[in-house]
Amino acid sequence: MGQRERERREAAQARLQAAGITPPRTSGGTGRILAIGAVVLVLALATGVYVLWENYRSETAATYAVARDGVVVRAGDQAAPVTVDVYEDYLCPTCKQFENYYASDLTAAVNAKKAKVDYHHIVILDERSTPPGYSTRAANAALCAADAGIFPEYHARLYADQPAEGSAGKSVQELIALGTELKATGDFAGCVTRQANSQAIADATKAAVADPAVSPGGRFGTPTVLVNGVKMDLSNGDWLSRVTG
Amino acid sequence: MTAARPLDVLGTVLRLGLAAVWLVSGVVKLSEPFTTSVAVAAYRVLPDALVTPVALVLPPVEVALGLLLLAGFATRLAAVVGALLVAAFVAGLVQAWARGLAIDCGCFGGGGPVDPDDTRYGLSLLRDLAFLAAAVFLAVRPRTLCALDRRRAATRDDAAHDDAAHDDHDRPVPVDATEEH
Repeated sequence: MGQRERERREAAQARLQAAGITPPRTSGGTGRILAIGAVVLVLALATGVYVLWENYRSETAATYAVARDGVVVRAGDQAAPVTVDVYEDYLCPTCKQFENYYASDLTAAVNAKKAKVDYHHIVILDERSTPPGYSTRAANAALCAADAGIFPEYHARLYADQPAEGSAGKSVQELIALGTELKATGDFAGCVTRQANSQAIADATKAAVADPAVSPGGRFGTPTVLVNGVKMDLSNGDWLSRVTG
Repeated sequence: MTAARPLDVLGTVLRLGLAAVWLVSGVVKLSEPFTTSVAVAAYRVLPDALVTPVALVLPPVEVALGLLLLAGFATRLAAVVGALLVAAFVAGLVQAWARGLAIDCGCFGGGGPVDPDDTRYGLSLLRDLAFLAAAVFLAVRPRTLCALDRRRAATRDDAAHDDAAHDDHDRPVPVDATEEH
């Protein structure tokens, strides 16, 4: 095909030359089309980079109060009109993406007393670390972080530093070191070492799976997000407007 | 020249088909940035720091490729870039399949981890390979009907020599002749 096309073009050129016509160089037009096409693609790329930059810039520091109630960490003003229930496992990759995308919006809403967030510490992925148990270890440490006054930062770091599934994950010592780095108060090290909430976490997990509002049809996954008791579909951003108004 | 006509038609069909594929997959991904990044992360290829950037940059690029192909503008460039992109998707799928990851490809939105019984690697791969073949065809032979590429070329020819010595009997009316001067 390419061969025939070339022959055809050469023949056409010969005819034009015989007629005394100098064909214009088409490469200029092609070059311009290419350049504009490339600009379109680069603009698309730039759009993505711009959105990324906006996401990055909008990271918000938490200024809200945190209280612990068993294995639930209650963030924000308890009189806030909207209640958000978040069920996460610290080893869950989708939870990490959830935090990536929505943490700054949630933090802003809680800072502004528009919403309060209840972080439910449940564990379903203990078997996904080697040896098993990172999820429970991290959840225990996060509850200690709430007592130590560093929950928002600690929670964020557990996701930022999330270990790969199948790896060992942070040890008790490393979980303590992270708290120390974030200036934990009180007996943070002792609390993390004791891992005293493991049973309560397991019980809360069972309760979440049994709760039809959280696990419709018995299907429970993380992250699960409820706004004023209604489970949200996270696949688009619409749910957030129910929180931020 | 007459022999080339059926190939022009085939190329046009492939071009418009690919345009639709890119536009649909790009717009859906654009509307679900969170799901898209979950899908990208699920391949477990990119380092964490690159997951969100790729998830945010990919959809607008897909839409741009769709628009270029729809207009038939810089068809070869769009086809080459698209072919490279699809080849990368194929590589991602193959490695995920080989590693036994249970994920949905997220090719047209959605995506992320799924039940091990719910993977559809074979189907996704076949589909991607078909897209790849179409893109390679257009990269090799970008000449199609109803394309801006041809309008511009025709315009240029008209400006150069105002005779009727052309073999393009369906040459479209120049729409952007002023741009050339």
